Amino acid sequence: STPLQSPTEVFQALQRLHMTIFSQSVSPCGKFLAAGNNYGQIAIFSLSAALSSEAKEESKKPVVTFQAHDGPVYSMVSTDRHLLSAGDGEVKAWLWAEILKKGCKELWRRQPPYRTSLEVPEINALLLVPKENSLILAGGDCQLHTMDLETGTFTRALRGHTDYIHCLALRERSPEVLSGGEDGAVRLWDLRTVREVQTIEVYKHEECSRPHNGRWIGCLATDSDWMVCGGGPALTLWHLRSSTPTTIFPMRAPQKHVTFYQDLILSAGQGRCVNHWQLSGELKAQVPGSSPGLLSLSLNQQPAAPECKVLTVAGSSCRVDVFTNLGYRAFSLSF
Amino acid sequence: MSSESSKKRKPKVIRSDGAPAEGKRNRSDTEQEGKYYSEEAEVDLRDPGRDYELYKYTCQELQRLMAEIQDLKSRGGKDMAIEIEERRIQSCVHFMTLKKLNRLAHIRLKKGRDQTHEAKQKVDAYHLQLQNLLYEVMHLQKEITKCLEFKSKHEEIDLVSLEEFYKEAPPDISKAEVTMGDPHQQTLARLDWELEQRKRLAEKYRECLSNKEKILKEIEVKKEYLSSLQPRLNSIMQASLPVQEYLFMPFDQAHKQYETARHLPPPLYVLFVQATAYGQACDKTLSVAIEGSVDEAKALFKPPEDSQDDESDSDAEEEQTTKRRRPTLGVQLDDKRKEMLKRHPLSVLLDLKCKDDSVLHLTFYYLMNLNIMTVKAKVTTATELITPISAGDLLSPDSVLSCLYPGDHGKKTPNPANQYQFDKVGILTLRDYVLDLGHPYLWVQKLGGLHFPKEQPQHTVIADHSLSASHMETTMKLLKTRVQSRLALHKQFASLEHGIVPVTSDCQYLFPAKVVSRLVKWVTIAHEDYMDLHFTKDIVEAGLAGDTNLYYMALVERGTAKLQAAVVLNPGYSSIPPIFQLCLNWKGEKTNSNDDNIRAMESEVNVCYKELCGPRPSHQLLTNQLQRLCVLLDVYLETESHDDSVEGPKEFPQEKMCLRLFRGPSRMKPFKYNHPQGFFSHR
Repeated sequence: STPLQSPTEVFQALQRLHMTIFSQSVSPCGKFLAAGNNYGQIAIFSLSAALSSEAKEESKKPVVTFQAHDGPVYSMVSTDRHLLSAGDGEVKAWLWAEILKKGCKELWRRQPPYRTSLEVPEINALLLVPKENSLILAGGDCQLHTMDLETGTFTRALRGHTDYIHCLALRERSPEVLSGGEDGAVRLWDLRTVREVQTIEVYKHEECSRPHNGRWIGCLATDSDWMVCGGGPALTLWHLRSSTPTTIFPMRAPQKHVTFYQDLILSAGQGRCVNHWQLSGELKAQVPGSSPGLLSLSLNQQPAAPECKVLTVAGSSCRVDVFTNLGYRAFSLSF
Repeated sequence: MSSESSKKRKPKVIRSDGAPAEGKRNRSDTEQEGKYYSEEAEVDLRDPGRDYELYKYTCQELQRLMAEIQDLKSRGGKDMAIEIEERRIQSCVHFMTLKKLNRLAHIRLKKGRDQTHEAKQKVDAYHLQLQNLLYEVMHLQKEITKCLEFKSKHEEIDLVSLEEFYKEAPPDISKAEVTMGDPHQQTLARLDWELEQRKRLAEKYRECLSNKEKILKEIEVKKEYLSSLQPRLNSIMQASLPVQEYLFMPFDQAHKQYETARHLPPPLYVLFVQATAYGQACDKTLSVAIEGSVDEAKALFKPPEDSQDDESDSDAEEEQTTKRRRPTLGVQLDDKRKEMLKRHPLSVLLDLKCKDDSVLHLTFYYLMNLNIMTVKAKVTTATELITPISAGDLLSPDSVLSCLYPGDHGKKTPNPANQYQFDKVGILTLRDYVLDLGHPYLWVQKLGGLHFPKEQPQHTVIADHSLSASHMETTMKLLKTRVQSRLALHKQFASLEHGIVPVTSDCQYLFPAKVVSRLVKWVTIAHEDYMDLHFTKDIVEAGLAGDTNLYYMALVERGTAKLQAAVVLNPGYSSIPPIFQLCLNWKGEKTNSNDDNIRAMESEVNVCYKELCGPRPSHQLLTNQLQRLCVLLDVYLETESHDDSVEGPKEFPQEKMCLRLFRGPSRMKPFKYNHPQGFFSHR
């Protein structure tokens, strides 16, 4: 390829080389994927166009890219009409129906009541609680805030973590929320009584602790009575009621995202590959992606678009890898 | 006319039978008398039905008589003969009747046929009449249509509109009262007016032509007058020379230079004129001069009648002699190449003086057979420069002007037609000859007014003043910036090689007061070596590591930690920032592929470079980037979380003030320095 020479070309190339995609979210219709990066931009990709048989190189580029936040977009979730994004201390809402038009403005933005004033804490995780139509935010100020989506008021603040919170997971039945943080603990909160009901300090268990990586919990996923978490300590499957680690997955590199899928556990983190684990602890497959490190996995299971049912992964690069079949990377979308 | 002949015969037969209504038939007489027998009349009177009955009865009788005769004959005997005879006579009579009936039938038939025929003829006659009439109708219709479609020539003429006509035409032509009501008169009036107008315009045209002739004649006269002026002016100029010297106004000197300039080839002439103009108008630090032999230049363009014989003779002689002396093909090819790459004997010298008294000397040459210009550059400084080892390429004549405009590397000929010429003499590329001939940069061609469009190759590209003028100012400014930035780097490299990062006082605010990590090494590396490094693959793949860039390796150390930084310096520095790729060796090897914080450090110098540019003209960019790198390494090492399993204190105690150590899903370190509070935070 011809070497890049003009200042704007060089600057754009450098920006793309140093881009990190932190978060992804699938649209309610299942046809579009939103990706948020470290420059605060959100790009909307058309999955249906990229997956169709007439897809060209332009289909793998975003349909629209806009500056959503001043800081990185660490987390995004979608309701049935809105895209909620957060990162630099604020959560903003965008209408999916409007988002494809140029110059889209946010529907609303809210900032939880923070304690510190010197630096605005980041929001690392967003969680929707459908039963009470509320959103839970957690991040730099070590608290979980719940916000009512109807009124926009902040209803609860759950305190207990001693260092910032990385990730959240929802136990539908109770409803209970799990949070994992930099302090190395996984805490369970009951939303009705607004109290911490269980604490698991993962690093204190010898079989899964790995001191040279640190004690931080980077990712969480839960499936009724089971919970899988990873980060500094090894990726471990826990039985919640008894707070015992049942399976330790032999993965050296710290994992940054984990999820249950059918009868498998999928995890990704430092290193190129998406790891497929069986519940017994066996590594079923390691499928390489195109980024040197991965930060988010997204499974498009929207019922409205079964033809777009794909796994998309993103991380330390400007690319989102698309896996149509879990076994190999089909192609990559790119900012 | 069988009926006629049968009529003639009839009278005889009828008389012998004794049939009624007989009379003399006289054919010559017409139907006057009425006293003759006409069988046709009889036919009308008789009833065909009864005739038919009669016929049947007669046949019956005949059959009966025949049967009786046979009867009698079979019985035999004499008296039988009379009865037979009687019967025979009766049969004869019946035969007569039959014959008559037959005739009548024939007559009826004939009558019927005649009637039909008549009627048919009548019908035919009517039919014919009808056809004739229809044909006539059609013909008339066609004529009518033709008449209706008729367009007279007068409709093709574009007449002025009605309002205009009534406005402009004089009343004796427009005759409003008459024409308003009658369209025919109106059209006639309009045509009249048209004719009037045309006549008038023809008059005007003739007048204008004669005017033009007169004026042309006047111009001729004036031209002659002017040309006779020239010798008189020359003598005045000569007389004024002593006055000029006395008043220190060297018009003559400039004039001499212009005289020499007349012998310059067109592109060099354009450059000379435009550069002189620019220098006089905008930039007093630019000086222009012409070097080389005017006589040789004159020798190139001898008038054809004299030179043809001379040259061909001398050529032939030379060829023969050369052929006799040096018959080898290789040498001939060599000569051909030399001939093709021959330079015009005159060259234009441009000297650009910069603020710090350093001068950029540019010598522009014109390659006659290739129709391109080349330039040789040299930088001289007010004081002698000691060149640090790593700064070798910065000011070298080969690379100092490389990529002045993005992509303009000056290693290939800009004239696409040259390729065919090269093929004939076996030259692969001009690159091999640039050291000797100078670089054929695209901006050099533009300053000479030469434009080689890629899409439509032109046969002869001629020098264009406007092209040169439009590029002059920008190019001169870029040249000055380039020289100054290279000189600045030159000085900085000298300092870097001694392990000191020279940060100017107006950039101190970007960094904390105490920086512990030190630069220990600064060397230049080759392009291939850069490509071979394992941590630079991303830059190479992104197309940012071409062969026109300069490559360096810096080493920053603190304690046991060693940070290697591979630097790509684009010729377009400092509008294009230097690009850093890092590899840290401390408790293992960390690069951007296995450590997100190393990636963040690279981002701090590569992407956030605008903060580090310093005051214009941004000569401090590279040194500020290096200083920031040292600060980043300090932060990285001091904020590394302590591994509880390992004994002993941390190698690098935290001295930097940080609000938080880690933030976000990738647990970034606080790399951003805040001034003047002096603490570190996250972006």
